[in-house]
Amino acid sequence: MTNSLYLVKPEIVVTIVLVCIITFNLIFKDKPQALPWLSVIGLMITSYFVVEQFSYNSFAFASTDYKGLLVTDPFGAFFKILIVLSSVIVILFSISNKELDSAADRLGEYYSLIFGMILGMFFMVSAADLILIYLSVELLSLSSYVLAGFTKNTLRNSEASLKYVIYGGVSSGIMLFGISIVYGLTGTTNLYEINSLIQAPQINQITLLFAGILIFTGIGFKISVAPFHFWTPDVYEGAPVTITAYLSVASKAAGFALLIRFIKVTFIKSINAEGYWQVINVIDWKSFFILISIITMTLGNFAALWQNNMKRLLAYSSIAHAGYIMLGLVVMSNEGILAIIIYFTVYAIMNLGAFFIVMLIANKIGSEELDDYKGLGYSTPVLGISLAIFLISLTGLPPTAGFIAKLYLFIALVDAKMIGVAIIALLNTVVSLYYYIRVLKNMYLDKPGKEIPKFSASIPNLVLLIALVAPIIFFGIYFSPVVNLAKSSLTLFGF
Amino acid sequence: MLTEFGKIFIFFLAAIMFVVVAVLASKLLRPSRPTHEKLLTYECGENAEGSPWVKFNIRFYVVALIFLIFDVEVVLLIPWALVYKEAGIGGFLIGAVFLFLLGLGMAYEWRKGDLEWARPKITPPSLKENSIEQKITVNTQA
Repeated sequence: MTNSLYLVKPEIVVTIVLVCIITFNLIFKDKPQALPWLSVIGLMITSYFVVEQFSYNSFAFASTDYKGLLVTDPFGAFFKILIVLSSVIVILFSISNKELDSAADRLGEYYSLIFGMILGMFFMVSAADLILIYLSVELLSLSSYVLAGFTKNTLRNSEASLKYVIYGGVSSGIMLFGISIVYGLTGTTNLYEINSLIQAPQINQITLLFAGILIFTGIGFKISVAPFHFWTPDVYEGAPVTITAYLSVASKAAGFALLIRFIKVTFIKSINAEGYWQVINVIDWKSFFILISIITMTLGNFAALWQNNMKRLLAYSSIAHAGYIMLGLVVMSNEGILAIIIYFTVYAIMNLGAFFIVMLIANKIGSEELDDYKGLGYSTPVLGISLAIFLISLTGLPPTAGFIAKLYLFIALVDAKMIGVAIIALLNTVVSLYYYIRVLKNMYLDKPGKEIPKFSASIPNLVLLIALVAPIIFFGIYFSPVVNLAKSSLTLFGF
Repeated sequence: MLTEFGKIFIFFLAAIMFVVVAVLASKLLRPSRPTHEKLLTYECGENAEGSPWVKFNIRFYVVALIFLIFDVEVVLLIPWALVYKEAGIGGFLIGAVFLFLLGLGMAYEWRKGDLEWARPKITPPSLKENSIEQKITVNTQA
């Protein structure tokens, strides 16, 4: 057993920064305004070590050559970069979030809990052992339960936190049950060993099917796919908007990374000449995922049609997007994973941007209701146009980056000869156009009930906004850097 | 033809039967003459007083949590102390990091004032329906 601490440098740095934030907050109690900058600096250092991981491809903490807890590979490194990036953006959002003012004396906890989430997500992304998977999901969940109810003096905030903790507790219990069944069947918790053991003919197929679906329940809860999505609208509406944005991007990215690794490592027998994965003949994951993703995107899109609250609307839209992203896994090939990675890069930027504008508008007018958005397009032109760009990108219309993301997804589907699924996804996109455009109609075409004074965001917020709008336009026209980055991070350890 | 789980099942069955048989047998054999005194909750011979559903001060839980943390610390430190000599400087550092993190937790409690039993003023949290809606009403009035 060699020393493999150098393979978990990012995790070590995150832990050290977490301790630093708590210590700083204890010593300099009256300087909470320095905390976000401390966090951002910590994340910069983390990102340096994450970039280093693009060149690694091995087990960490391996007791023997073929059995390890963690895996460091380019695939994990990509998702870690995505998590770090969205964390930086969310921390910058938090500086100007008015909801957090009521909890100004507890801001040290806010930032240290965010680092707790980051640590959980880092382990989730690179876990190759069922026990570590469970622990990292719990580490992420416990921090996010507290953060969802962080401004605890409002009723809807407490409601969100309570619902999240109850549903989350049940779903992780179900996942643990599935893990225990898999351990009972195979006698190991290592994904690579499970893969070779379940290819034996004497494995009880029905039990394994049951266990696989139970474990999927736990992961599906994190990525909020139907039928495990029911917590999403309430929690997203109630939580502080920064945390909503964070849950919808980072936590979802970590969940998808975990799902992809779990499926690919555990259930793939071989990869055929065209690059499609041959699944072990236990669970028909392909049909299962087709079913789940179609239900998810249809439900998300149709439920979003009736929403009058911006946060709820974006919550349902994020459920629908989870359905689209799931289509990349349906393809069961590296092309599908490539589409997922491109989609996530774009989705992170546009979703964070949309939530950012919802936050900026709520800071000014104190509301997230669609009715209060009437006429906003004229009273705050910059925010209005940016929101329009983000929503068009979420719909997937050219020339925005959202179009490129959907394009790669549909190409992967068509290449795999799944035209029917592609058509259903396309029709769903048309449905989604309606509710995204409805926001724009409220902003530009409807007359406001009362006069709204002109307002705009502060200069630092405008800079941040431009930093989010620019890549959406830029990658929509010139997208080869994203595609190249995605192609270089396709390697999972062992494949 | 008994599997390992089968043995555990028999164990469970025996445990359940042990209780069921004892309760049923005593039910059949004993005379049944309940009085008010006999039906009261047994509290070490004392007379039961008041409802058990009283509010405890939440700070009891904070103290209980601190106690739990240090209890677990002892459990984890004993094996560490046993191999302390052989583990060398690396083992010392691991233990030191663990103790530092625990100490940080203690310092956190201390600094946040959770160890002060008599606090000067306690502001109970008030749940507002929706802080955002309240802001709007204020805005329209002004």
